[in-house]
Amino acid sequence: MTVRAYVRELVRRHRRAFTVLVVVNTLAVTASMVGPYLLGGLVEDLAAGQRDLPLGWTVTVFAFALVVQTYFVRQVRIRGAVLGEHMLADLREDFLVRSVQLPPGILERAGTGDLLSRITTDIDRLADAMREAVPQLAIGVVWVGLLLGALTITAPPLALAALIALPVLMVGCRWYFRRAPGAYRAEAAGYAAVAAALAETVDAGRTVESHRLGARRVALSDRRVGEWTAWERYTLWLRTILFPTVNLSNVLILGGVLVLGGVFVLQGWITVGQLTTGALLAQMLFEPVGLILRWYDELQVAQVSLARLVGVREIEPEDGEDHVAPDGRDMRADTVRFGYHESVDVLHGVSLAVPSGTRIALVGPSGAGKSTLGRLLAGIYAPRSGDITLGGAELTRMPAERVRSHVTLVNQEHHVFVGSLRDNLLLARTDADDHELWSALRAVGGEGWARGLSDGLDSEVGSGGQAVTPAQAQQVALARLVLADPHTLVLDEATSLLDPRAARHLERSLAQVLEGRTVIAIAHRLHTAHDADVIAVVEEGRISELGSHEALVREGGPYAALWRSWHG
Amino acid sequence: MRVPPLCFVSMPPKDVMLIRELPYADPGVPDARSGRHFLLWLGRMQWAGQAKSLAWGLLHMGGIAAVPLVMGMAIQAVVTGSGARLAVAGGLLALVGVASTVGDTMLHRTAVSNWITAAARVQQLLARRTAELGATLTQRVAAGEVVAVSTGDIEKIGWCVESVSRFSAGLLVALGVGIGLVIYEPQLGLLVAAGLLVLLLTILPLLPRATRRADVQREEAGRATELAADTVAGLRVLRGIGGEELFLERYRRASQRVRRAAVRTARMWAAIEAVQVALPGLLLLGVVWHGTRLALDGRIAVGELVTVYGAVTFLLVPLRMFQEFAMAYSFSRPSAARAARVLALRRTEEAHPTRPSGGPPDGDALRTRDDAWSEDQDQEDIVEPNADLFDPETGLCVTAGGLTAVVCGDPDVAGRLAARLGGHVPEPASEAESEPGGDPYDAEAGSEDGSAGDSKDGSAGAAVRDADEGKAPHPVLRQPSVRLGDTPLDELPLDTARGTVLVQDKDPVLLSGTLRELLDVPRSGRVSAREALEAARCGDVLEALVRSSPESGGDPMAASITERGRSLSGGQRQRLALARSLVTDPRVLVLDDPTSAVDAHTEARIAESLRRIRTGRTTVVFCSSPLMLDRADEVRLISEGKAVASGSHQELLRDNQAYRRIVTRETHDGSTEEAEAAAEAEGTVTA
Repeated sequence: MTVRAYVRELVRRHRRAFTVLVVVNTLAVTASMVGPYLLGGLVEDLAAGQRDLPLGWTVTVFAFALVVQTYFVRQVRIRGAVLGEHMLADLREDFLVRSVQLPPGILERAGTGDLLSRITTDIDRLADAMREAVPQLAIGVVWVGLLLGALTITAPPLALAALIALPVLMVGCRWYFRRAPGAYRAEAAGYAAVAAALAETVDAGRTVESHRLGARRVALSDRRVGEWTAWERYTLWLRTILFPTVNLSNVLILGGVLVLGGVFVLQGWITVGQLTTGALLAQMLFEPVGLILRWYDELQVAQVSLARLVGVREIEPEDGEDHVAPDGRDMRADTVRFGYHESVDVLHGVSLAVPSGTRIALVGPSGAGKSTLGRLLAGIYAPRSGDITLGGAELTRMPAERVRSHVTLVNQEHHVFVGSLRDNLLLARTDADDHELWSALRAVGGEGWARGLSDGLDSEVGSGGQAVTPAQAQQVALARLVLADPHTLVLDEATSLLDPRAARHLERSLAQVLEGRTVIAIAHRLHTAHDADVIAVVEEGRISELGSHEALVREGGPYAALWRSWHG
Repeated sequence: MRVPPLCFVSMPPKDVMLIRELPYADPGVPDARSGRHFLLWLGRMQWAGQAKSLAWGLLHMGGIAAVPLVMGMAIQAVVTGSGARLAVAGGLLALVGVASTVGDTMLHRTAVSNWITAAARVQQLLARRTAELGATLTQRVAAGEVVAVSTGDIEKIGWCVESVSRFSAGLLVALGVGIGLVIYEPQLGLLVAAGLLVLLLTILPLLPRATRRADVQREEAGRATELAADTVAGLRVLRGIGGEELFLERYRRASQRVRRAAVRTARMWAAIEAVQVALPGLLLLGVVWHGTRLALDGRIAVGELVTVYGAVTFLLVPLRMFQEFAMAYSFSRPSAARAARVLALRRTEEAHPTRPSGGPPDGDALRTRDDAWSEDQDQEDIVEPNADLFDPETGLCVTAGGLTAVVCGDPDVAGRLAARLGGHVPEPASEAESEPGGDPYDAEAGSEDGSAGDSKDGSAGAAVRDADEGKAPHPVLRQPSVRLGDTPLDELPLDTARGTVLVQDKDPVLLSGTLRELLDVPRSGRVSAREALEAARCGDVLEALVRSSPESGGDPMAASITERGRSLSGGQRQRLALARSLVTDPRVLVLDDPTSAVDAHTEARIAESLRRIRTGRTTVVFCSSPLMLDRADEVRLISEGKAVASGSHQELLRDNQAYRRIVTRETHDGSTEEAEAAAEAEGTVTA
């Protein structure tokens, strides 16, 4: 299983820290056993009626042990945290590294929502487990082992007496752990659903009010609360079995040691001192046993989250073939067929030649396959049959990094990252200097507002930072394009989310940026189509009309009719 | 691992569990004056649960406290060589064990029930509060505040509620043991009491420091999560254009900061833990030393020495509980304060002092939710049919039963006007009034006055009465209300107003759930979901939905829509939102740029079907696309905040220069885009 393999790898990476933790823990536990041992000695001497006790010596040893124990208990806690935090940091960083290596096609298809929930919810859930469970479990196991060992050394029969509790504990825990992980998972999901319903009501306040959905939202929240509490009740029931089991085991351990041990003393097999020490050690067993059960539980729950995170690692990054490189800039699609599912094709044998420097507009009704064709031309998807080539080289056989240095897809998603404006631009070309950044902003008409920001390029933007309008976000996206400088661009309704005035402004600055480049524009506004060199009308997965604006209007087909209606 | 089926859930032991009542039919009216008041109110609401928890806690702690006693007895029995007394000790141990086991289990059950009921209650209160506040919520308080209450604060409040009874039980038993020790052997008892006091005084000042560090750590962790989430959210951009290393490096730095902060917190806890080892250790040392001398003097028996040793160890248990409670309380204080702040918010309707409070319920009204939430009360009775919509502010008049298009040069002006037409509260210009809950009881008193007349003629009557009482109008100058026929919209009960005029704003939110749930909105019943989807040209959206949710089994109505419809494109989202508004079929439908992200082909078709499906009903569309304008009965032009021209699209296009400029997007410097583009195109066409 990959999760196991990953955990093994983590442990291997942190072997030293693990060893240190076990060693300091051993020392701390050993020191903690000095007290019961000394008390046992005292009891034995007192019971024997001895008057001349080495009390001074005893107290000195006790004090020394106490100092050692205090120091190492502190060390255990710190070492445990250091180890746990290192592993956790590794885990979350590994996850993000893998995420940013995902092939663009998978991202397009699956969306980022699922990844998002993994990185927020699952990492949070894992945090506690990694931070506490792994170190605490290690501590607990060592602790129990040492106590049992000490018990055996003190008086072997007592160790046997302690073990009579084992079957009870085993049966109870087995019952519990078979049910617990699934139940806790459902419980956590139920609780998240309660919060999610509320968050949506808040987010959609206007819509909720306009459509008078208040009552429905309240009913939904109540229903979710009901579902969540049902799971809470179930897990509570599970613990209603577990708790008595653990408690009774504790009583059995202590009772076994005390009563059986008492009989042993009466029989003269062991001394009363040994019994005292043994009973106190047996009582000390409660804590680590509880510790193990508690964190084993947590680890089981965490395993699910871990599996979801590790799952991302299983998607292999597509490396592409290094020797495939374009010769020239002409883009060509040759009888391309493509579908998102085996049986249903979205594109039915599309052929299109886009000579270098041409501006071509894809128009047509929604669902006709314009966006799909655009994504194929940007090398995000591979055609089911047929070829898409750039300068004679097949796009999908090239490494993703090489493809994007030639062709870039710009869609409606104008994400402004949390961080400085500089970082937001630098991502397109990490070695650009401030002068280049400013001139990129100038080229897209965004210099004005950027100069107006409080800290210029260092201003924090994105959620939580200074507010950026959609139009400005779009300018940031375009400035990135200027910096990245690809020779071919696929624009997928890049301005559709802007209001018409801002869109028009932007298209004007865009026109300057795009000067001399090959542009494939998926257009929903007819003026964009009008401005293009060639218009391809896509209908039902085929190109139904192809030609310049004038030619198409002259032909009097569907495009011409639409144009007349639009232009009046 | 198999997830147990839900039917298991109905099988827990048959004791009287508070959880069975969940969700509450009525979560009550919270005392939201302050965080402390709120916590006390929560406690009052579940006093029976708290009492039970305390009783079981006493049994549990008492059982544990008795163990050292039994242990001492057993040792003493062995020392004196008495098998019979050893057997008695064994029997007692079994008894004590069973008692503490039962106590522990039931304490856990009752305490967790208290946790759950408190959390559920607050969640339900929040849901009601947010539903009532609707669009005004985010004007009064940041959305994040509310979400923070629901995700983080509730757990802390619940923790405090849960630990209080456990701590009380621990405290009582500890006092008992302490008193017992003092009575039994004053010198030893006083030594132990003094030692515990010192321990408490040493640890207490450390706790706030630890929690402060934990806060810093949480903040850092939150920031790192935000960075990661942000990076993932923009992953398609990153993968499309590059910069992955830059962002990874940034995240690694944040992640390492979290790690360091967490280790710092752990150091503090480690110190606390060390103190918890060292000081009790010293106490034990003293007890052993002093106790042994007492035993040597023959003042106590050997077994009693063991008992005292065990008792000191026991006293650390309540000490831990105290520590837990202290933390839970200090954590929950700010959380409770925030929850109280959010729950104290009221829909004050500053803009409409005459608005009756007949809308979604607050507090008391919830008990009569059937009246207040009524969806199918017949709006037609309240406002005369065929009433034109008139806005005195702009002079805009919308003819009843027609499709009117409104053209504004500025989209922001369009948005504000659309909201006005529906009688929505305008976005506040400043945050000056944002101090929430200034006097929530005043608002409540108002609604109580009103409810006196409720039985007579429904919520609308109560509303008018409230208005008649002549509460002093807000001193701020108000714009006159939009009128529907002779009725000012602001004077209608909120629910009626919203039901009569539906405003679909620029950014309508798709709520997650199945498509069927999405379209299940209060509606007239005249338009079916299928018709609405067809009119909004959602064919390809349905295909996309079915494709992305295999669990739907090919039925688009069962296909699920993710939060905000993020898996769909902007155009697809717009069309679904339009379908939702169409299925509602309100008297007046105001659409603000409903097809801005839709392609020209589809937009033309939508314009056609919009006319057809809205026949006989009033429809207002704010837009500037000729494809839509050409199909409107009438077009109105708004300029400088006033309605300046009206006519058909063709007429205005011909006669009105300003209109022509906005619609065909000529630029202000005289030359038209078309001319430029045409010139450009002529030079470069190669195909």
